[in-house]
Amino acid sequence: MKYRYDVAVIGAGVIGCAIARDLSRYELSVALFEKESDVCGGASKANSGVVHSGIYSAPGSMKAELCVKGNEMFPSWARELGVEFRRIGKHVVARNKGELKELENLKKVGEDNGVPGLRMVDKKELKILEPNIYGEASLSVPTAGIVSPYHIVIALAENAYANGVNIFLKAAVSDIKQRKTGFKITTPKVSFSAKYIVNCAGLFCGDIARMVGIEKFKVYFSKGEYLILDKAYGHLLNHLVYPVPKIVSGGLGIHLTPTLEGNILLGPSARYMNDREDTSTTQEKWDELLSDARIFLPDLKEEWVIHSYAGVRCKLVSSRAKKPGDFVIEEDKGVPGFINLMGIESPGLSASPAITEKVVGIIKESQALKLKKNFTNVASNQRFSRIDTKGKDRLISEKSKHGHLICRCEHVTEQEIMDILDNPLNVRTLSGIKYRSRAMMGRCQGGFCKARIVRIMEDSFGIDLDDITQRGEKLPLFAGRTKDLRKHG
Amino acid sequence: MDKRTVDVAVIGGGPAGLAAAAAAKREGAGEVLIIERDERLGGILNQCIHEGFGLEIFKEALTGPEYAQRYINEVRSLGISIMLNSMVIELNSDRELIVSNEDGIHKILTKAVVLAMGCRERTRGAIGIPGSRPAGIFKAGEAQHFINIMDRMVGRKVVILGSGDIGLIMARRLVLEGAEVPAVVEIMPYCGGLLRNRVQCLEDFDIPLLLNHTVVDIKGGERVESVTVARVDENQNPIKRTKKTIECDTLLLSVGLIPENELSRMAGIALDEKTGGAVVDEHLMTSCDGIFACGNVLVVHDIVDFVTKDAEKAGKNAAMYSKKKLIDEPDIPVIPGLGIRFVVPQFISTEEVEIYMRVMEPGSYKKIVFRDGKRIVKTKKLKYVSPPEMIRLRLRKQEIGNAKKLSVAVE
Amino acid sequence: MRKNVTCIVCPLGCRIRIVHSKDAIQRIEDYQCEKGKDYAVQEIFNPVRTLTTTMMVRNGQLPLVSVKTSKPVPKDRIFDIMDTIAGLELEAPLAIGEILVEDILGLNANIVATKHVKRI
Repeated sequence: MKYRYDVAVIGAGVIGCAIARDLSRYELSVALFEKESDVCGGASKANSGVVHSGIYSAPGSMKAELCVKGNEMFPSWARELGVEFRRIGKHVVARNKGELKELENLKKVGEDNGVPGLRMVDKKELKILEPNIYGEASLSVPTAGIVSPYHIVIALAENAYANGVNIFLKAAVSDIKQRKTGFKITTPKVSFSAKYIVNCAGLFCGDIARMVGIEKFKVYFSKGEYLILDKAYGHLLNHLVYPVPKIVSGGLGIHLTPTLEGNILLGPSARYMNDREDTSTTQEKWDELLSDARIFLPDLKEEWVIHSYAGVRCKLVSSRAKKPGDFVIEEDKGVPGFINLMGIESPGLSASPAITEKVVGIIKESQALKLKKNFTNVASNQRFSRIDTKGKDRLISEKSKHGHLICRCEHVTEQEIMDILDNPLNVRTLSGIKYRSRAMMGRCQGGFCKARIVRIMEDSFGIDLDDITQRGEKLPLFAGRTKDLRKHG
Repeated sequence: MDKRTVDVAVIGGGPAGLAAAAAAKREGAGEVLIIERDERLGGILNQCIHEGFGLEIFKEALTGPEYAQRYINEVRSLGISIMLNSMVIELNSDRELIVSNEDGIHKILTKAVVLAMGCRERTRGAIGIPGSRPAGIFKAGEAQHFINIMDRMVGRKVVILGSGDIGLIMARRLVLEGAEVPAVVEIMPYCGGLLRNRVQCLEDFDIPLLLNHTVVDIKGGERVESVTVARVDENQNPIKRTKKTIECDTLLLSVGLIPENELSRMAGIALDEKTGGAVVDEHLMTSCDGIFACGNVLVVHDIVDFVTKDAEKAGKNAAMYSKKKLIDEPDIPVIPGLGIRFVVPQFISTEEVEIYMRVMEPGSYKKIVFRDGKRIVKTKKLKYVSPPEMIRLRLRKQEIGNAKKLSVAVE
Repeated sequence: MRKNVTCIVCPLGCRIRIVHSKDAIQRIEDYQCEKGKDYAVQEIFNPVRTLTTTMMVRNGQLPLVSVKTSKPVPKDRIFDIMDTIAGLELEAPLAIGEILVEDILGLNANIVATKHVKRI
């Protein structure tokens, strides 16, 4: 095993994986450390999947600059990775005439930030563009789009791996010491050394920064809850539909976000909290999200909801702050070689290609980087369900297990599950399979497929009964075989 | 891509599909084909290893697999074609199916289709139990599959939400195999399953049944550590001060079944939001000509014997339709009125028909009254009515008369 | 002794109240039919249940076979039966109706297979 690296990236969320992958273009040795059992564990997993235009960020801020740039870079970035980015556009909808002035202000801010194509839309036209939405007028934001955040992160990570990045999962960084030769990084089993560290630890960015003596930032946490609506209602929206934001430093309000899969997301909410690992959902937000969404979709029924989830973002300003915080992306002056990314909340995902460029640029200032000749883009396989009927037939004749559907709701095949279990990062948890395949994410939430996936894991991959877990927990999912309790008490 | 034509295609090889296919064949249909996604026939009955099936039809208390085997034997002896490990991925209003299996994609043209896809379980996500999302939360049927088919125990200390039959059966199953069931929690003021099950699954094992309660929080990081239950008021809202924590490592959800009508929606078939299944006429034909529905995909049943009877009707009519022998009758709508949750079929003709329904609330000494406007068409007195027990009544030709519209209510 | 029995013969579910000694019924009330009365008496003196469960299978297409007792057995022996069969493994193939354990615990009932299990 290799212990010495040029660059150690800490945190395998969208930022960490994007940076690791980009660095893998160069003649550099790169390690990516992640404390969870899979990549994309934190805020990168639990967001709306929106690539924002940049209209919400304060003019002159790094958030604004990098979001607009990132949005512009996104289509080719996504193409390289073989993931889908759909520019469906957004309507920020004024609910009444009183909000029209706010909307105009928002348009101006957007234009100041360099967001292209902004246009006011009147009630009549809004009705044609979004027949199911009730609104007085809207601001059309054509550059906003949607992605599948976990697909992007997994694609980034697998690309990084394919190009030589060593990815260490279940490798929480507990200590960093500065040596003459670079940094000594302690993880549970092994210590590593690296010339550069890129801190992309998201919720734990403050902890990592403190390990090298950077104490000046206070990190706060804000939980966002979401509801997912059944795909059967996805047709109700053509664009992202957002309300006019009321408070500038708080959240953006309850959005209605179509997803690439055809669901609609309601949310997120935003509430400051102390426990950054508390991703529980609440009755309060469930009710609030439904009633807020009904402002735009009056016919929305509770039965349309198939799932709810929550994520936590890190913030650099407290709940009482009058202005939102900005990104911190810098090589710390007191700790050369330590590139500190703090407070990468929304629009972090949108800005990720631009953030990546900026970070690589920072490294280039002190280190000459030579491009590899053999960097390759590895595109992920197309999903079976997206292929046309003739194409499906062809695939099945090549690999018959593609004909055996395991997930009825999302049409995932046995072959896809097997290919996924063979993933380069060797992630073999149910959750890992879920995010890579879409199985267990449909309306039956695993009712049909989970048992069959467990069977494939055991029979085809020899995974022991006691090693089957949801997310790599210490405790297995099952309490043994059926007779074990009676036999052993 | 394989292309073939059959006379009657039956989607689903569980109790409904088996009976429908057999009836279609017996009625003289040409080729009858069952398409089943699992590796064997029998559907959900394969995992229902408890007894109580067949009391009506066979006058015996059979276990699920035994009941299924009777129909599997019949299907095989009738020479019905069977595709296993095969999933119907498309259905259209021209009764054309696209089926996927390891041999490839098959396009199947049909003269009649019987929908027998059964149902899925309502999920935690759909009912929005707040709390964390740890491992150890299963739906009751899912757990039943793991325990009875895959030989995997789901937990050691299991709280069950929902006192419908599946929840009750699983409570007993878990205790028999050595797990602990601290409570079965039920939001309604009455038990959701059949009385027989309440006695033999809960009372027999001293498992507490908490009526008027629900789960308001799930705690646990990686694995379930406890659930919080609370009493609910008359609007089913939790009463905060009654919150109580129950330690457990597993939560089983038995919170309802939803007819699996994804294919029906795809084919543009009209659905009844009260049943979750297709709107059908007295032939059990849906709004799409030549497509019939039966079993749990039509409406969630409680006794498999009646699933069989339904399915036989649907299969027979599908066969007749395939031979162009099914006579189209004028449709008389039957509307559920006061106290009635739903009525199936939703449209009848002037011929004698069996109608089934569920009441919204339990009660004793009630009358089920059919009316044509103000005129009473039929009254049936029942000693006892309850939502879990589906009511089946026969409407005779004389009673229907020349009614144009019927309503039925509890009085 | 007093005992309440919930009758399961019909959905009315009468709560039948019984006062009894070790061998005789002294008083029995709140039943609505003879079937209910008979059921309640049986529940007092000799409650029986049909046990349905699974047993482990070797070399079968399924790891378990579903089983039942060929006739109802005393309710208080159910867990003994469960303990006894927990450690047993049967060899596939198995046929529905096949006797897997004869006269379990001397209770005059067999454990019988309720589904086919083919050999792999």
